[in-house]
Amino acid sequence: MEAYLGIDVGSVTTKFAVLNGSDELVAHIYLLTQGKPIDMVQQGLKQIKQQLPKDVDICGVATTGSARYLAGVIVGADLVKNEITSHAVGALHYFPQGQTIIEIGGQDSKIIIIRDGIVADFGMNTVCAAGTGSFLDHQALRLNISIEEFSQRALDSTTPVRIAGRCTVFAESDMIHKQQMGHRTVDILYGLCQALVRNYLNNVGLGKDIQPPIIFQGGVAFNQGIVKALQEELGTEVIVPPHHEVMGAIGAALLVHEEIADSHNGSKFKGFGISEIKYHTSSFECKACPNQCEIAQLSVNGQVLARWGGRCDLWERSPTS
Amino acid sequence: MIKVGIPRALLYYQYYPMWKTFFEGLGAEVVVSPPTTQAILSSGSSRVVADTCLPVKVFCGHVLALVGECDYIFIPAIRSVKSKICNCSKFLGLPDMTKAVIPESPPILDIDIDINKGKHELYQAIYKLGRRFTWNPFKVRQASIAAWQAHLKYKQLMSNHGLTPSQAIERISNTTEVEPKTPSGNPTPNQATIAVIGHPYLLYDAHINYRLIHRLEQAHYKVLTPEMLTTEELELAITRLIGGAYWTYEEEMVGAGGHYLESGTDGVIGIMAFGCGPDSLMMDIVHRWAARLRTTPFMSLTLEEHTAEAGVVTRLEAFLDMIHRKKRRRLKLCV
Repeated sequence: MEAYLGIDVGSVTTKFAVLNGSDELVAHIYLLTQGKPIDMVQQGLKQIKQQLPKDVDICGVATTGSARYLAGVIVGADLVKNEITSHAVGALHYFPQGQTIIEIGGQDSKIIIIRDGIVADFGMNTVCAAGTGSFLDHQALRLNISIEEFSQRALDSTTPVRIAGRCTVFAESDMIHKQQMGHRTVDILYGLCQALVRNYLNNVGLGKDIQPPIIFQGGVAFNQGIVKALQEELGTEVIVPPHHEVMGAIGAALLVHEEIADSHNGSKFKGFGISEIKYHTSSFECKACPNQCEIAQLSVNGQVLARWGGRCDLWERSPTS
Repeated sequence: MIKVGIPRALLYYQYYPMWKTFFEGLGAEVVVSPPTTQAILSSGSSRVVADTCLPVKVFCGHVLALVGECDYIFIPAIRSVKSKICNCSKFLGLPDMTKAVIPESPPILDIDIDINKGKHELYQAIYKLGRRFTWNPFKVRQASIAAWQAHLKYKQLMSNHGLTPSQAIERISNTTEVEPKTPSGNPTPNQATIAVIGHPYLLYDAHINYRLIHRLEQAHYKVLTPEMLTTEELELAITRLIGGAYWTYEEEMVGAGGHYLESGTDGVIGIMAFGCGPDSLMMDIVHRWAARLRTTPFMSLTLEEHTAEAGVVTRLEAFLDMIHRKKRRRLKLCV
């Protein structure tokens, strides 16, 4: 069976998606990165292999997400693509008529404006993580409830409290204040959802022409409270597509299919066997100039596979020297 | 021979040939600080007060790099270069601020440039600066005329020949004749063009912008910058967008942005510094204009000391993908 593999290694989760020759999703998995992107890529490959038929032939592999270069070297990617393009291509595959894509992940959030089936504008959050999944994770931890429970209970709110969502630090003190005042937990939970949505729309969505149909994807789209708050704030329906959490990986797989079809080259995929290899990462400070760049390197059995992290391409150019 | 140090930061990129010619005409030797490195940036940002913007932090680092290398440091206070136009307060107080935060700096040669006060005041200021080197007013006059000619040649090399500031500076110091604009300077039919707008001290400092221009050229894009436009083109665009300039150096942002958004480039990237007041206002004007026109994709990047390279790279990749896919779709439709 002809198949294309997309791997999305994000800051919080790692996603795998396998498409067949006619771009249908045949397998997907969703793992927590836990700060160990290499282990998770290896584990994910092992797990997804079990979901696939014996005669599978991986014709192309693409990586995306913040660890896309690292993952690309490990699996032998044919294409390394940024997450904005991957998410847009994935969403448009399922909803060609979509005009706005809202994607909220663990550490970043994006808005992609689509016109005539093509990306016309996009925005990404700046360094602040107040409008992302980790904000919710953090506050759920403070309230001592699981993130799954958060999603369900937020819907029970009748009189949500207003929480300042500009900054996680202020949101936290605001939240504690509201708790001390005796507000119900469910109202605080939904207040947090509204705070995140407000912050997202005022920060990432600022000046963007948000038109329906709106597609909402990424891990945070699991949260029913956020979906409800988004719909209220935008005053229109928000579509959460199936497999929204692996949409970046699906997009990457679609892109590599297109790329392989255009170039007629064979795949550089190193095979499922790489999940057994012991990878070693290390770093050092480059002494070539006063910039003192931290160079990270990936090696197997003492042989360096790749180096990156420099301000110039001195180390990237010659990984073997 | 007296050594005059010039920090390779802020207005260096606009006026270096002029300043160099002036001081050399007065018999001084000119020393320039090395290109920005992490060490220069860190040393600068460790001195300044908390709310200082990135370009000024870089500037202080360059002043520190010149300590011990020269007898004087030249830091002009440029108040206005055109009548009824304001400059950012950071530029107005630059010599005084440097004196306060870098007490070990060599004596500062400063000059108040304020066109609002009229030509007489300007000549007086130039003469006052020149008197530090010579008592002969004719020598000062000669040096300033030569300096102005060097400046005009520098501007012309960039606007008429499409050279970057560093290329133009090299050409001027080598005194080689320049051949007229070659066809190779123009984009080939299928080559996409990207205009990068912003102040030259952000555009041409490869350290603080993460080699943005280099990255674009590596991806085979033809890069256009504000310096490649003539003063007339820039002023025309400003008039169209906002009627008239308010800030000094507004043409680099609003003028160039307005021009490139309507001149058929495939995309425009605006670069601004975090914490810069005028930049945030000017970039917003360009942003709104781009949103109104909806013809040319526009993206703005904010640079900061702590900007992660990944953030710049991801946005740039996504922006270029957007342009590439758009262009490919158009080509397919034509076929």
